[in-house]
Amino acid sequence: MNDQPEAGLPGPESGAGPDAGALETALAQKSALLHEIDHRVKNNLQLIASLILLQSRRTADPAARAALKTVLERVAAVATVHRRLFQNDPLSFDVADFIRDLTGDLAASAGRDDLEIALDLDHIAIPAASAAAFALVVNELLGNAVKHAFPPGRRGRVSVRLSNGDGLCRLTIADDGVGLGGQPPGFGLTIVKLLGQQLHADVQVEDAQPGVRATVIVPMTAVPKPDRASP
Amino acid sequence: MTAPDPLDVLIVEDEVLLAEELAFLVREAGLREVGRAMSSREAVALAAELTPDLALVDVHLRDGPTGVEAARLIVQDVGAVVLFMTANVARLPSDYAGACGVIGKPYSERAVKTALAYLEVCLRDGRAPGPPPLGLTLSPRYRELWDGGLAETG
Repeated sequence: MNDQPEAGLPGPESGAGPDAGALETALAQKSALLHEIDHRVKNNLQLIASLILLQSRRTADPAARAALKTVLERVAAVATVHRRLFQNDPLSFDVADFIRDLTGDLAASAGRDDLEIALDLDHIAIPAASAAAFALVVNELLGNAVKHAFPPGRRGRVSVRLSNGDGLCRLTIADDGVGLGGQPPGFGLTIVKLLGQQLHADVQVEDAQPGVRATVIVPMTAVPKPDRASP
Repeated sequence: MTAPDPLDVLIVEDEVLLAEELAFLVREAGLREVGRAMSSREAVALAAELTPDLALVDVHLRDGPTGVEAARLIVQDVGAVVLFMTANVARLPSDYAGACGVIGKPYSERAVKTALAYLEVCLRDGRAPGPPPLGLTLSPRYRELWDGGLAETG
């Protein structure tokens, strides 16, 4: 038992530990509060997604519609992170399970059931603090492959590999589609680059002839800390 | 032969925008929305009046975390199949209050659509065409009840 008096915990004056009943009550209250917040976050994310969807259905302009859809996919990726976060260990996040979820969502959202998406995923847990950033990176890279690599009618294959070794989490997303074709990188790749920096990751997106190969290598140790000041 | 009647669906959700969105997905899946309720009392009354085939029930309703009890009554009294749609998956009772399963919030459009299509087949055939799609978890009772297809696909 810890002899140090704990601030804020009711207990006898000296000697014995804090009152067990009061501790249990305090713990139950904390736990209920945590559940309530978790519940609200999830519901609010659902609300944001529904708002975007309802808006996009009332939008006639195809370009505006496509933009809303892209925003929705990004919000949905973050929402999926939250759905998965509290399922098991609230402090760590299973990347493989997430990728499996996301793959189904993206393929369905693109309306492409003619694409083969091959998943080869090791179970890797990353800290919850990095989950949303990592999820958005996966969302952009996988979304690029599903949406841009294959013009309508062209069948294709996207392979997603996730492996863990030497303290590195290695993600490879490769397609056999049309390649980058010298197009300037879009906002999606800007997101990937920025979040890659945040994750201290090495990010490569290159023409693989055929197709595009994207590699993201994240050091498992360099967890982004809640720094007060960034360099 | 005429086309089979679409399933009648009752939506029990206290967030109107989520209900609106859900109604859209129900229509898109080829099902028929017959009503919407925001509280447990409204849900049980509407279910008795409209006798839906399927009720989509949130756990947190206007009158509190009453969705579980509402689900139990809808299953017992009306015989409808209930599917929970909630951010509180961990808090469901182990018997799911008689419901067939749950979709966790926040759900994706795809998760709801594939789950509805899957449940439509389950309800029509009395057995599952295969394992449930990603995002849908079946209750132990319904997993057994619809086991026919699951055993084949493994």
